[in-house]
Amino acid sequence: MTSVRVFQFRMLLPLLAVAAVAVGLPLFYALYLSLTDFSLTQQGPAEFVGADNYVSSLTNDGLWGAIGTTATYVLIAVSFETVLGLLIALSLQKQKWARDITRAMLLAPMFITPIAVGLTFRFLLNDQLGAIPQLLRSLGVSYDFLGSGNALFTLAMIDVWQWTPFMVLLLLAGLESIPQQPMEAARVDGAGAFYIFRRITLPLLVPVLSVAILLRSLDALKVFEYVYATTRGGPGTETETIQYFTYQTGIQFFRLGEASSMAFILLAIVLPLIIFLFRRLDRSAHR
Amino acid sequence: MTNARILGSLRNAFLFFALITVLFPIVWVALASFKTAPQLNDPSLLFFEPSLLNWRFVFEAGILEAAGRSALVAGITVTISAIAGSGAAYVISQYKAGGAATRFGILAAQVLPPAVLVFPFLTLAYVLRVNDTLLPLIFAHLSFVLPVVTWFLIGFFDSVPKSLEEQARVDGFTRFKAFLLVVLPQVYPGLGAAIIFGFTLSWNDMFYGLILTPSRSAILPVAIAGFNTFRGVELGSMSAAILVAVIPVVIASFFIQKRLVQGISGGAVKY
Repeated sequence: MTSVRVFQFRMLLPLLAVAAVAVGLPLFYALYLSLTDFSLTQQGPAEFVGADNYVSSLTNDGLWGAIGTTATYVLIAVSFETVLGLLIALSLQKQKWARDITRAMLLAPMFITPIAVGLTFRFLLNDQLGAIPQLLRSLGVSYDFLGSGNALFTLAMIDVWQWTPFMVLLLLAGLESIPQQPMEAARVDGAGAFYIFRRITLPLLVPVLSVAILLRSLDALKVFEYVYATTRGGPGTETETIQYFTYQTGIQFFRLGEASSMAFILLAIVLPLIIFLFRRLDRSAHR
Repeated sequence: MTNARILGSLRNAFLFFALITVLFPIVWVALASFKTAPQLNDPSLLFFEPSLLNWRFVFEAGILEAAGRSALVAGITVTISAIAGSGAAYVISQYKAGGAATRFGILAAQVLPPAVLVFPFLTLAYVLRVNDTLLPLIFAHLSFVLPVVTWFLIGFFDSVPKSLEEQARVDGFTRFKAFLLVVLPQVYPGLGAAIIFGFTLSWNDMFYGLILTPSRSAILPVAIAGFNTFRGVELGSMSAAILVAVIPVVIASFFIQKRLVQGISGGAVKY
């Protein structure tokens, strides 16, 4: 090996060593668990059961329900976040007065621990003690935020409150890094603001927009804290998301083998998204 | 009024509405933390004599100890991540070391669903008899903090010209000394942002904590969740506990917002 290669290897070694213990080892152990009937409450060694866990997970209606619920949640939350995030980023880009403080305050929610956000909204939306239902009642409106039919949408709106700032952050950066000349040329030619946005700004923003949507979707898929803080999966199983369902299988029922197989099924579903994100980011970073 | 002026006022009204939406819940929780139980029954109460009962209660319930454990876990996690991540990020960025497979691994580990890794950590903790201690939690947090910090640093090293290292080598530095003494100081602002962001990620995580340290060594987010079930919902003390968790990271976040974008996108989006 040449000295350059030795140097590169030595510099990578600490990362590879820590990653092997913190990611590699548990990943392979999870694969092993998913092929056994391991349970925390069971006496004696776990037995190898082959693909049994995968078969029972894949035929488990609860898991498919949770996958559907999670997909609906991600779709609602990320759509709202994209539209609102784009509108806020466009507004902030033009804003001059009290610029830095407005930006800092609007971005604050994304740094709050999600369990605190979940509990705050549980409090605000509480039927008797909450400010929002009381405000609505004084307007003559009665709406059960966490009731049947509404709960999943409410959870998605909590996600929107916390994570629209993330969209704003990335889209604002995207807006400020795209060249201004095409917009100015179009303006000189008499094009309207909406036309310029739709035909020039938006196409230039697509790379950043797609990265932001992918990152948000991958993160929203892991939703757990809001469910844990507010509905615990209810009413019925309406808000049972995949992360919550896996948690219940593993922790409340101690069936770690089955829970691990569910985690790998989830991984198989998100892997294409991760690959797509990587190709997007790697291409623009290493031009 | 011209069209531009109308659009301008609409824009300001929209931003004002967004700001109110963001601030309302935060202000609400801050107010509630100073209310007594009877005052909490009236959500419309805005002016009242502040009481410190809730704050005293959460301090006596050990919220500072939980915060200390969270800070310890986050501190150790982010220190290991910064040391292991900066060297690796440097050779990945400047020497293209490790290839696409390494870069993909780093990105994939950041977005890996925690449900995949948590059960092995739990089982191994039981086998090694370190369950309900901070040790397995530190490893669990390393699984996402290390890749995020490394990914951030790759983005920052990408903006350092390769000629800087070459010049240092001409001046007689070894490769390692050129990295440590010449190139690394160039990315100190980025390293600082990565450390604060990594700390925030560990500090805010509840999922691993809930499963790996549910009781004796409960970290802050788990302790906050505890107020939810303890003798019904203790709204006042829960609000005080929430503020203990939120205030430090929100203040710290103000200093790194400008560098976050470059970090999150690994240099793909510049700000």
